[in-house]
Amino acid sequence: MKGLFIIAALGILAMLAEIFKFKKVLYPLVLVGILGAYAANFTEWNNTLNIPAFSNMIMFDNVALVFSGVILITAFFWFILANDYFEHDHITDHFALVLFSLVGALMLTSFSNMTTLFLGVEILSIPMYVLAASQKRLVVSNEAGFKYLIMGSFASGFLLFGIALIYGATGSFDLMEIRSYITQSNGNMPAFFYAGVVVILAAMSFKVSAAPFHFWAPDVYEGSPTVITTLMITIVKTAAFAAFMHLFLVVFGKVNDVWGMVLACIIALSLVISNVTAATQTNVKRLLAYSSISHAAFMLMAILANSRPWGSINSVLYYTLAYSISSITAFTVLYNVAKNKNSEEISAFNGLGKKHPLMALCMVIALFSLAGIPVTAGFFAKYYVFSVLVGTTYKWLMVIAILASLVGVYYYFKIIIAMYFKHDESHEPIKIEFSHVLLMIITTLITLAIGIVPGYIVEIFG
Amino acid sequence: MLGLTITQWLFGILSLMAIMFALMVVFTRNPVNSVLYLVLTFFCIAGHYLLLNAQFLAVVHIVVYAGAIMVLFLFIIMLMNLNPDTEPRKHIMTRLIAGVIGGVLLFVFVGALKGAEQLQLTQSGASQIGLIKNLGHVLFTEYLFPFEITSVLLLAALVGAIMIGKKDTNINVSRNS
Repeated sequence: MKGLFIIAALGILAMLAEIFKFKKVLYPLVLVGILGAYAANFTEWNNTLNIPAFSNMIMFDNVALVFSGVILITAFFWFILANDYFEHDHITDHFALVLFSLVGALMLTSFSNMTTLFLGVEILSIPMYVLAASQKRLVVSNEAGFKYLIMGSFASGFLLFGIALIYGATGSFDLMEIRSYITQSNGNMPAFFYAGVVVILAAMSFKVSAAPFHFWAPDVYEGSPTVITTLMITIVKTAAFAAFMHLFLVVFGKVNDVWGMVLACIIALSLVISNVTAATQTNVKRLLAYSSISHAAFMLMAILANSRPWGSINSVLYYTLAYSISSITAFTVLYNVAKNKNSEEISAFNGLGKKHPLMALCMVIALFSLAGIPVTAGFFAKYYVFSVLVGTTYKWLMVIAILASLVGVYYYFKIIIAMYFKHDESHEPIKIEFSHVLLMIITTLITLAIGIVPGYIVEIFG
Repeated sequence: MLGLTITQWLFGILSLMAIMFALMVVFTRNPVNSVLYLVLTFFCIAGHYLLLNAQFLAVVHIVVYAGAIMVLFLFIIMLMNLNPDTEPRKHIMTRLIAGVIGGVLLFVFVGALKGAEQLQLTQSGASQIGLIKNLGHVLFTEYLFPFEITSVLLLAALVGAIMIGKKDTNINVSRNS
C-alpha cells in the first residue's frame, strides 16, 4: 500500500517540478522513487496487519504485492528505456501521466471492491489515451489516441453495466461478499447475475486485447510512440491480467461453468486471428502488437484452467514477468533500430548481426523467449500454462496453442533472418546509448536467468 | 387506476419517456437535436433518482450532465459545423451486422432480466440512503479511499487535457520519440 502512495506522491511531485523548476533532477528522482516504492512493497510481505484496508476497499495481500513488484520493476526498466521521450516539451506532464497510470495499475493488482476496480481501470486508461496521442503532429498518433479513447470508453461502459447487474443480484460491491453470495445461493442466482459476469468478461477481454475485442490493439500499438507502446504492452497488460485473474479466479471462480466456455472461445479466436495476421505483417511494431494478442490468449489459458489454489496464479505471474521483460528487450532494440533507420519495417533490421552483434544477440534471445524456445523464460511460461491446463476439460485448446506457437516461430524468425542473413546497403553504424545497452543486457540476463531457474518465481506461492 | 400507486405510474411514465428519448438520440439525423434529446433523457433519469429518494444525486445529475457536459457537447458540435449531409454513410452490410449484433445483445439482456420481478428486495428502496447527509457520511467513512483516489483520476484527466491542448514549441517530428 505504501508503494501505491509513493507513486501517487511522485506523480504530484512531477507536476510541482514545472512550478518550482527542478525539472533537471526529476528523472533521477522518479527512478529512485520507483525503487523506493519497490522496497516499500517488500516490507509489507506476509504482513497481515494492514489487509484489508480502508473498509475493505483495497487489499495488498501477497499476490497483489508480487504483481505490484512485477509492475514496478517493469516500470523502472521502462523509465530507463524512455529517457529521451522525456526530453521534449511536456516533460513534467509526461512524467505525471505515466506515474498516474502506474497508480491505476497498482490499484488493479490490489482492488477488493468493484468501486476500486472501476477507478483503477479508469486511472490506468485515461493517461494512456493521452499518451497514445502525445505526438500531436503525427496523424497516426492522433488516430491511435482517439481510437483508444472511443473504444476504451465503450468497454468501460460495459464494465460498469456488468458491475451494476452484479450489484443488482448480490446487493454489494465488495468482492468477498459477492463471493460468499455465490457460495450461499448454491447455483440459484438470478439470470442477470450471469449476464453481468459475461458482460464483465467482455469488458476485461477488451482491456487485455483478446479477440474478438482486439480490433483497436494493432492500430493503437502501431500509432502510439514506440515507448508508449512498450508501456501498454508490458505494464498495462500485467495490470489488466492481475485484475482479470482476481475477478475470475477469486470471485467468479465458482461459476466457471458459465464463463469457461465463453473464455475458451475467446482464447481460440485470439490464438488463430493474431498468429495468422501477424505472419503477414512487415512492420515490426505491428507484428509485436499482434503477437501480444497471442500472448494474452496464453495468459487467459492459465486463468481458464482455474487451477486452485495457486497453479493459475503462479503461471500467470511467471508469464507476465517473462513477457514483460522480453518485450522490454525487444522494444529497446526496435526503438534504437527505428531511430537510426527511421523505419519500423523488418527490412530495417537487415544486417544488424554484423553491424551491432550485441544488439542482434539480445534481440534473438528476446524473440526466442517470445516464441517460447527452451532455456529462455518464454518457454517455461508456456510450459507452465500447459501444465495447469492439462488437467481440465479444455485440453483441445492446447492443440490450437501449439499450432499457433509454430506460426509464431515463423514470424519471429523473419526478423532473425533479416538480422543475420540479409545485407544492408547503407554502411552507417547503428548508434545506441550506453544506458540502453545496459538495459538490454540486464533484461536479457533476466530472461535467461528466470528461464534457467524458473522455480524461484513459479513456486512463490504454494 | 389499474391498481397502481402514483409512484408506479410515475415510474412507468418516466421509464417510457427515457427509453423513447434515448431512441430518438440514436435515430435523429441532426446532431444538435440528438444532444437535446440526450438532455431530455437525463431529466427522465433524474426523475428516477427522485423516486428513489436520492434528491442530491438527481440535482447533481441535472447540473453536471444536462447543464455542464451537454452544453459543452453542443458547443463542440456547433464549432465542428456538423450537419446531416456531412455524416458518412455506412455500407449496408456493416449496418446489417451491427443491427444483428445489437439485437442479439438486447435479446440477451431482456432474457436475463426476465423473472427479476419475482426477486425479493435485499434492501428497502425507501431508505434514507440517498440524502445528502447519509451520502456525505458514507463518502467519508466507508468510501474514503475511492473518494480520495478519484482526485488522482481527475488530476490525470486535467494534465492530459492540458498536454493535448498546449502549443508545442518543438517542431521536431521524429517518428520514434
